[in-house]
Amino acid sequence: MTAMPKLQLNGVRKSYGATKALRHGDLSLDAGEVHVLIGSNGSGKSTLCKIVAGSVRPDGGEVILDGQPVEIGGPQDAKAKSIGIFYQELSLAAHRTVEENICLPSLPLSGPFADRRAITERASRYLKLFEGVTGEGFALDTPVGHLREDQRQLVEIMKTLATEAAILIFDEPTSSLDRSQVERFFAVLKQLKTEGRSVVFISHRMDEIFEIGDRVTVIRDGETVGTLKIGDTDQAKVIALMVGEGATPRSGAEAKNPATTIRSDITPRLSVSGLSGKGFRDIGFDVAPGEIVGFGGLHGQGQSSVLRALFGAAEVAAGSIALNGNSVTPADPRAAIRLGFAYVSGDRGRDGVIRGRSILENVTPVHLLRAGQRLLDPADLKQKARPALEALKTVFAGYDQPVTALSGGNQQKIVIARWLVDAPQVLLLDDPTKGIDLGAKADLFALIRKLAEDGLGIVLYSSEDNELLQNADRILVFNGGRIARELAGDERTPYNLYHAAYEAA
Amino acid sequence: MTDQTASNSLSVAGQRLIARFPFVPAAIILVVLLALNGWFEPRSLSFGALRGLVSTYLALMLLAMAQSYVVFASDLDLSVGAIVSLVNVVMVTVMQSLGGDPLMVLFACVVGIAVGVACGLFNGFVVAALRLQAIVATFATSIFFTGIALYVLPVAGAPVPEAFWLTYASSYFGIPFVFYVLALVLVILTLLARSGLVIRILTVGDDAMGAFHSGLPVTAIRIKGYALCGLFAALAAMCLTGDTASGDPLVGGQMTLNSVAAVVLGGTALSGGKGSVLGAVIGALIIGLINSLVFFVGTPSEWQNLVQGLAILGALMIGVLVSRRAQK
Repeated sequence: MTAMPKLQLNGVRKSYGATKALRHGDLSLDAGEVHVLIGSNGSGKSTLCKIVAGSVRPDGGEVILDGQPVEIGGPQDAKAKSIGIFYQELSLAAHRTVEENICLPSLPLSGPFADRRAITERASRYLKLFEGVTGEGFALDTPVGHLREDQRQLVEIMKTLATEAAILIFDEPTSSLDRSQVERFFAVLKQLKTEGRSVVFISHRMDEIFEIGDRVTVIRDGETVGTLKIGDTDQAKVIALMVGEGATPRSGAEAKNPATTIRSDITPRLSVSGLSGKGFRDIGFDVAPGEIVGFGGLHGQGQSSVLRALFGAAEVAAGSIALNGNSVTPADPRAAIRLGFAYVSGDRGRDGVIRGRSILENVTPVHLLRAGQRLLDPADLKQKARPALEALKTVFAGYDQPVTALSGGNQQKIVIARWLVDAPQVLLLDDPTKGIDLGAKADLFALIRKLAEDGLGIVLYSSEDNELLQNADRILVFNGGRIARELAGDERTPYNLYHAAYEAA
Repeated sequence: MTDQTASNSLSVAGQRLIARFPFVPAAIILVVLLALNGWFEPRSLSFGALRGLVSTYLALMLLAMAQSYVVFASDLDLSVGAIVSLVNVVMVTVMQSLGGDPLMVLFACVVGIAVGVACGLFNGFVVAALRLQAIVATFATSIFFTGIALYVLPVAGAPVPEAFWLTYASSYFGIPFVFYVLALVLVILTLLARSGLVIRILTVGDDAMGAFHSGLPVTAIRIKGYALCGLFAALAAMCLTGDTASGDPLVGGQMTLNSVAAVVLGGTALSGGKGSVLGAVIGALIIGLINSLVFFVGTPSEWQNLVQGLAILGALMIGVLVSRRAQK
């Protein structure tokens, strides 16, 4: 047998409230290997990494470092145990310079003062590794806030490398890097391997995984489902493991919601062409009355940005939008609402629920805007709100109950009810089921289907592939801000969806 | 085309200048105010008048410094004025009970500093360790500190020993004592700006979560920020005591929001992570110069508050415009 693994996780668990982020995480990491972690959105990869880095405390399970069971009490403790991590959301201080950021975790001091020379010296050692690929305007004394996304990612990489830790975790370090930067980074990783360091690497790009990985561990729904040697496997096998056996052609799910036959002679409810803006390029699609069009793909590939742009909440640089055949420009959400757009966000706290106010006040704001009412009669408003709330089977004690007293699922129903008082034309759903329990999800999707049957055009973005496969008539798979593939009819299989999403952009 | 590139490179230079020295717009306002003061009252630029300005506003400069170290970490301290009052009455009481002997005066100063730092540590504990909202928590502690001050010295007016206030008002080698203090303050703030602690405080203010993820002891750093604040509030109290030469349990109360205004006028962001202590010191001088300018212009006394308020708003706007322009 080989030597003792450097780090081992056995049955690590973590829940946030009712959501089980990680059910059973196993990982065995050797010295001198690049170990790839792969799994779909929300499968628990990042949670697993954060447990190792000490920023998330596990609810249970074992962490074994160098053969000794340990408890990692926090990021400081992880640092002391020689574990360094690259955070997907980055951990940089925007107003500090590149060199300060690289050295921040352990700032070189001489007495009480920062040792400027040592900082520059140490930072330039790591900058040298990426010399020539850092791009314009990248210097040791540039404030990080002035850098581009890919450059900031490079700083976070250098910062992680500067910890000189024995175990280095990279949670999606390459998502914004270009090819030359990725190549340089891989050369660095190979060097680390020869030094006997252990690397955990998360990426969604299959080609990268096969280029740099020694072994791959697949996580599905919060559970480790297997570890394979990269040399003994291929992309299809890895995807099959991610999707799970038996899940491959699940026609049963679709039969429940047969794709509505769309007649081409009907004017589409919504027609988008050549739409470009921040985070998406050249998006074009039609939504027929009664159709549910799904947006799929990995998280953050431009799906939310397109929906927000349609709702007037994000800027549109180019392209045209037509509603029922008439060209429209929703300049801001007020204009979009008046035109008949409805938008429901999964981020209820930011975009949906009006905290601390009553249910009635949470149902009526859109109606007030569309009806242009100035003086209000609560009794009349209650009359108007009732059918919308009844349609949603919302359980509540009274109209004056604060909305925050309801569960997440019921709050989301209230937010949707808001749009139903005056029927909209197009319903934009931006990952609407985030953090909602299964029962409420089923109710929501039944309602969404019913709304479609009433003739609404519906666009549904969901970060959970199953929701799309079961509810969307067509799925547009996003990759790098573009629509990479359209899946309709029998093509709507988990395999196809994963494959399109994970293809190199 | 070349015009545009020229103005672009100029604005890039301006952007870099302000990114590096965020107090530049404040310094410009300061110079303008000095010139205006001189225009309306030439004598206001005399050595004696400047000395008076510094000795009156030295306390506010130090208090603005104190506030800066808290604001850097994206916190706020609404109790700085109360700390000034408390340190003031504690020092005066100690001096009174031990006599005006120079050694005893020095001892009273040490006690004052200890009280200031203790107040700062208490604030830091409440805000960073107990995680209470900084604004409300320090508002509460300000009432608490004022309560202690009123217990120590219920009525204003206890005199300060001559050894203390004479030193503050005297000159050495032809240079007023307050100028030495000002020079010392500038040296200290330059040194502190290079300290590892202040860089860490700024990092926490920039992105507390990121700092935590990087393995920085965020809570300890925030508490240290409050402790520094308490320390400089105590120094501010000493200057105020030297200037007013008496004990007053409510003397610092109105200085709190002035210190916040000075910090913001100096180009420091209340959201934290960015700013300069020198800017806060300049900001304090700006407030002082506005007050004197309002007087020199001959504003009728009933309108002075109104004009003062408008002038501070104006200074704030100019500062924002200058930095925005440079960033475009």
